Amino acid sequence: MTDQTIDISVDFAGIRLANPVLTASGTCGYADELGDFVDIKSLGGFITKSITLKPRKGHPTPRIVETDSGMLNAIGLANIGLDKFIEEKLPVIREMSIPVFVNIAGETVEEYAAVAERLAPEKAIAGFELNVSCPNVTRGGIAFGIDPILVTEVTSAVKKTAGEKVLMVKLPPAVTDISVIARAAVDGGANAISLINTFTAMVIDIESRRPVLANRTGGLSGPAIKPIAVYLINKVYQEVAKERGVPILGMGGIRTASDAIEFIIAGASAVAVGTATFIEPGCAAKIIEGIRQYCARHNVANIKELVGSLL
Amino acid sequence: MKTCFEGGNQAIMAQQSSSNRGAFNAVVTSNRQVGQRLYRLRLEFSGAGAEPFSKLKPGQFAQLDVSGTALPPVEKIPEDLRDPCSRKILLRRPFSFTDVETQGNKTFVDLLYRIVGPASVRMTTLSAGNMLGIIGPLGNGFWVPQGKKKALLTMGGMGAPPLLHLAKVLSVSYPDIEFTAFAGAKTVRELPFEGRLDEISQELGFALREFAKYGAQSQMATDDGTAGFHGPVTECLSQWLTTSTWARDTTIIYSCGPEAMLAKVAEIARDKGIDCQTSMEQMMACGFGVCQSCAVLCRVSGSNETVYKLCCEDGPVFDSREVVFSS
Repeated sequence: MTDQTIDISVDFAGIRLANPVLTASGTCGYADELGDFVDIKSLGGFITKSITLKPRKGHPTPRIVETDSGMLNAIGLANIGLDKFIEEKLPVIREMSIPVFVNIAGETVEEYAAVAERLAPEKAIAGFELNVSCPNVTRGGIAFGIDPILVTEVTSAVKKTAGEKVLMVKLPPAVTDISVIARAAVDGGANAISLINTFTAMVIDIESRRPVLANRTGGLSGPAIKPIAVYLINKVYQEVAKERGVPILGMGGIRTASDAIEFIIAGASAVAVGTATFIEPGCAAKIIEGIRQYCARHNVANIKELVGSLL
Repeated sequence: MKTCFEGGNQAIMAQQSSSNRGAFNAVVTSNRQVGQRLYRLRLEFSGAGAEPFSKLKPGQFAQLDVSGTALPPVEKIPEDLRDPCSRKILLRRPFSFTDVETQGNKTFVDLLYRIVGPASVRMTTLSAGNMLGIIGPLGNGFWVPQGKKKALLTMGGMGAPPLLHLAKVLSVSYPDIEFTAFAGAKTVRELPFEGRLDEISQELGFALREFAKYGAQSQMATDDGTAGFHGPVTECLSQWLTTSTWARDTTIIYSCGPEAMLAKVAEIARDKGIDCQTSMEQMMACGFGVCQSCAVLCRVSGSNETVYKLCCEDGPVFDSREVVFSS
């Protein structure tokens, strides 16, 4: 079996991805910022930094700190806001020729819906990823994502204004039962689910006895969270996604093709690479190649055969 | 444009090749201790990285991947760093450079590093022939405005290396600019120079060899008085400004060092009406503009508002009037 005969394309809620690897929100800018390091056209897709209705300045620094096999971030959803995104970034996105998902964050249901409404007519955008799970904002973020009623509410509000766009909800991991949240999103009209987002965590400077981050806490990402992500993706796949026919975009510490394959076997139809891009900006491209090689080695003619194939 | 791999030095080339930065591999040519907890690392780019790094400007930086570098045996690790060294390295580390040299189609870069944590401790085990992943050149670097005749290079602690590089560039490309270096540290053993303060020549008097070789005056300052001026380097600079001849419009200050020092230099520059470029530092995850970690608070001209700029993309060198210092 040669690499050429292997089909690693994915039908993700009606969107065709050339391969199952996307770059995760918050790790690849708004459009083509990674262009110096990777051929963006080779990616399966791209997810923008979280956009809010109004620009957000973000938290004071330090905004990040490294941990063992991970890092904390408390960026504070710093972003240029919807107006500037439309003015400056959409023209670039229109030239990108790969599926682009816009990640939306907000402090109220109305804000999410308003952003979706403005972007819904834009053909260059394949879909929205709702950031209901960002743990860095004191209002809005975590409050939505841990409450299934609020998740259904915000999902259905955006569904009304999102037109034909794919609606993906990004789940927070630190909840009692993530399947409850997944179900709430699907009930609200989500046609895809992405998980996991980061875990709220803390690093303390023992000399000053203060948290290292200005925001005190931050979201933990990177290889440290990968085994938890694999478990939760498999859980949501078995308990919600499979029976409801909703694809999962899996993420959380992926660095290599082997990591990506784990997520796919666990139940992800596609994967997103985040923190690893900071270290190796071309790693998404390397992962795509590695997935092809895995399929060749294991006589997998179509990547679909692997999705949720955990024995 | 396709992804391509080029021989031993891998480069993933992308559509905007005009941007002159990328992810490359460099080979260690030497790594030697030059002071207390201070090392000098020399790297060679002989493939795709040679050309971009040959254009490295003073004040630009690169992101080094030392996650695969081994720890030294525990006895060689300073006791106070043993616990921090127990964890793995994930992210790259930003370093500025102290020298750039091209030889044929190869580019050599030097960097000075002090042992402060798990990554720098690992770097001490690098030896000739080891390969290191390097992303760069990154950032803007110092710039030389038109019409300057005097440059005052003001550095504190490990702020010195990029200003040493600037000294070289000034001496080669801007021979009309007379420059003086002001180098400070808490104590003499923390001055990041190999050369000692020696009487170099009648002309230059006592000077640091590193600056004397570019024909420049230099002054040392130590907080504890163990060498040179007794006090912060900012006071040394102030005194020089009081006793020396200089003209406001044709003088420029370049500063690099701890933020408290940068804030004080900015204040001096503002009071005297002198142009000043300050090299800022912030924790970075990526170093190339996507993570939004390295925010520098800046004034918006013509308003009371402030905005965050990125140290890695908009800096690390800023006009000091723009920066809202945290101290």
